Amino acid sequence: MLIIDRRTLLRGGAALGGTALFAGLAPRIGRAADTLTLYNGQHRATTEALVAAFTKATGVHVTVRNAESPELASQIVEEGARSPADVFFSEQSPPIASLQEKGLLGPVDAATLKAVPAKFCANDATWIGATARTRVITYNKKMVAPADMPKSIMDFATPALKGRFGYVKQDGFQEQIMAIVHIKGRDAALAWLKGVKQYGRAYNGNRIASNAVENGEIAMALSNNYYWYSLAKEVGADKLKSALYSFPDSDPGNIYNVSAAGMLKSSKNQAAAQRFLAFMVSPPGQEAMIRTTAEYPVLPGLTSPFNLPPLSDFSAPVTPADMGSASEAYALEREAGLI
Amino acid sequence: MSASARGIGGRQRLPPRWLVLTGVIPFALVLLPVGYVALSAVEAGPSGILSDLIRPYTLNLLVNTLVLSVSVTICAGVIATAAAWCTERCDLPGRRWWRLATALPLAIPAYVSSFAWSSFGPAFQEMGGAILILTFYSVPLIYLPVCAALRSLDPNFEDVARSLGHGRWRSFRRVVLPQLAPALGGGALLVASHMLAEFGALSFLRVETFTTAIFDQYTAEFNNRAAALLSGVLLLICLPVAFTEAALRSRRRFARISRGSARRITPIPLGRLAPLVLLGFVALTVLGFGVPLATLGFWVWRGHSTGQGIGDLGKAMLTSVGYALPGALLTTLLAVPLVAATTYFRGRFARLSDRLPYLVHGLPGIVVALAAVAFTIRFTPAIYGSSLVVLLVYAVLFLPLAQSSVRASAELVPGEFTDVARSLGKRPLAAFVLATLPNLAPGIGAAFALVGLQVMRELTATLLLAPAGVVTLATEFWSYTSDRAYGAAAPFAAALVLISGVPVYLFTVRTLGVAEEL
Repeated sequence: MLIIDRRTLLRGGAALGGTALFAGLAPRIGRAADTLTLYNGQHRATTEALVAAFTKATGVHVTVRNAESPELASQIVEEGARSPADVFFSEQSPPIASLQEKGLLGPVDAATLKAVPAKFCANDATWIGATARTRVITYNKKMVAPADMPKSIMDFATPALKGRFGYVKQDGFQEQIMAIVHIKGRDAALAWLKGVKQYGRAYNGNRIASNAVENGEIAMALSNNYYWYSLAKEVGADKLKSALYSFPDSDPGNIYNVSAAGMLKSSKNQAAAQRFLAFMVSPPGQEAMIRTTAEYPVLPGLTSPFNLPPLSDFSAPVTPADMGSASEAYALEREAGLI
Repeated sequence: MSASARGIGGRQRLPPRWLVLTGVIPFALVLLPVGYVALSAVEAGPSGILSDLIRPYTLNLLVNTLVLSVSVTICAGVIATAAAWCTERCDLPGRRWWRLATALPLAIPAYVSSFAWSSFGPAFQEMGGAILILTFYSVPLIYLPVCAALRSLDPNFEDVARSLGHGRWRSFRRVVLPQLAPALGGGALLVASHMLAEFGALSFLRVETFTTAIFDQYTAEFNNRAAALLSGVLLLICLPVAFTEAALRSRRRFARISRGSARRITPIPLGRLAPLVLLGFVALTVLGFGVPLATLGFWVWRGHSTGQGIGDLGKAMLTSVGYALPGALLTTLLAVPLVAATTYFRGRFARLSDRLPYLVHGLPGIVVALAAVAFTIRFTPAIYGSSLVVLLVYAVLFLPLAQSSVRASAELVPGEFTDVARSLGKRPLAAFVLATLPNLAPGIGAAFALVGLQVMRELTATLLLAPAGVVTLATEFWSYTSDRAYGAAAPFAAALVLISGVPVYLFTVRTLGVAEEL
């Protein structure tokens, strides 16, 4: 058996650690002109597929920083004009809209904007939708029959559903609040939030909530559509105990939201950044993304391989641009005591 | 030097210059996040502060945070002390193995064990579940220092107590427990402040504390102002915790020049209790280590995504270790002067610089990481985005872990060692390095292992500050679980647990003395 005495261990450890420490101190390798820095908050597999297709098509290398979108938005705010990021790809539109409001984004090329329907983009051309998804209810088939499902999102604020549903304060919840504000007014939205807080069970993530429905912990959860599909991909759709339910067209619960991307105003690599955004909404870029996640393409004429109901069925009266950074939703959540 | 010129415990009044200079570096580093929180709170303006803080929502957070932190600390403290007593003082069958087994849950990151447990249903969620799961997770952090302290106790004190007619329990309470207080307090402080900052585990367990609320604020409005206010409250909660622990240790002297006459302690027979105690140890190991590990196995077996990304496993392992080693080295190096200054000298500044890292230990990683972003990009843009920044942030986050381990050794080494070397003509730094430092080796080794362990599982700061594109075991686990690819995530978690076994073993050996005794 190898016997190491204290001194050898300390010396060896110090040498090993010291070398690594100096490796950390070494200056960064200068960034090649054709390298793009992407801050990515979208699900990683989706972005990896997109980036691989982009690099293959253009030869431009992309360095990706992966983290949660709100954290990356906070980081970009702290970095300000010195941000090393060229492009920010956000899982939801409100984080990128908050950068838009702080004036940190540059304009997207007109040709790129033209490719995408206006309902998926910012009003001032600072960001574009990359993929779209719908707000849905995930329900456990053993615990509730489709016929007994609530007819409106507003029903969730009533005692009838007490203890029967879960909600998640992130990833689409802000957009949901904003939709109710737009359609039913601020007071209705506040009452709805208070009801949801009183009768629902808070989960700390859409994945956790949809797992809880699948495991029969709770009958229903307010969620985005693709979480169910990713669970189906992992364990097999035929084995799932949960299913998706959507509200009728006119209901404020029947909305879509987008993942969105934009170029930093401070980017030193704007030409490559614009190429990336253009590629993102081109057919090969869109296909790379919709093959890996059950989200809708924003480019008309493409269909998801995930057997999704067509997006044109949804005539949501609220667009992601209307929702902005959802600061009114934040104020309402505070007023209702949710955050 | 006459005896009257010294403080209690042989402390001189003023530390030498080298110690002040090296102690200022970690102090300044740790001050940064505190300054960031303070500045953001000032930006918010005094009018906003009160209306923001005095709400039923904040009160609820306060209650949850305190209940969680206090309950986990007490439960883990009781279990750890009982377990340490059984493995060190009783004739527990196979006690060498139970020592290692009790330390094993340390190899499992809290977010992994919480995920595993929460998948069993609502019974293991919310406050009750969180206390249960995090108690199992925290036991080793108190168990190991208490074991080490039990070993270094002079059994003669107990004999004296027994000879004076005290029963076993009474002599434990009156003689042993007070001597265990520093180890117990040190471990408890780490657990309590860690609970304030825990995020990953709690998000699976559906418990809202100040830390989860701080993340909520960033999520809802990218609101650095509201988040800073909540962070300020966290700092205030940490304040009494950190200083109470220091008070527990002050005005005591633990160092002995000689270890006294070596004497084998006769183990206390467990008798009829033996099966019960054994059952307790089996339960502790199964619940703290077995269940989370079995869940990882289940994912690999059931998941469709198993095998995906497996090609990156080797690279991620290397990167994790590549950050863990220098991170642990830097943190330990910075901790030594802090500990030396407070253990061998006195003074307000030394005391403050020793306590400050414990306050920051209670802050969520996102706040410390954003403070580092704000500071480096303004004042040292050249190093922004390099590995150096993330290593420095690790030091800020994990200094207290290193301090506690090094202090455990330092308190057993009399300050006179350095004095003797000085009297032989060595300069202050040389005297410390030659006479005291070698005797701190067990503590330094333990610190190195413990910090390395935590660096490997750190997520938030690594994501935001490591050079873009860097993948570690922790970041891979996080991104695959975000995509619900549990089968793909499991090998990364398993590798993390496996590699963590090395520092856990080293930490156990270092803390409990030489390997043969284990």
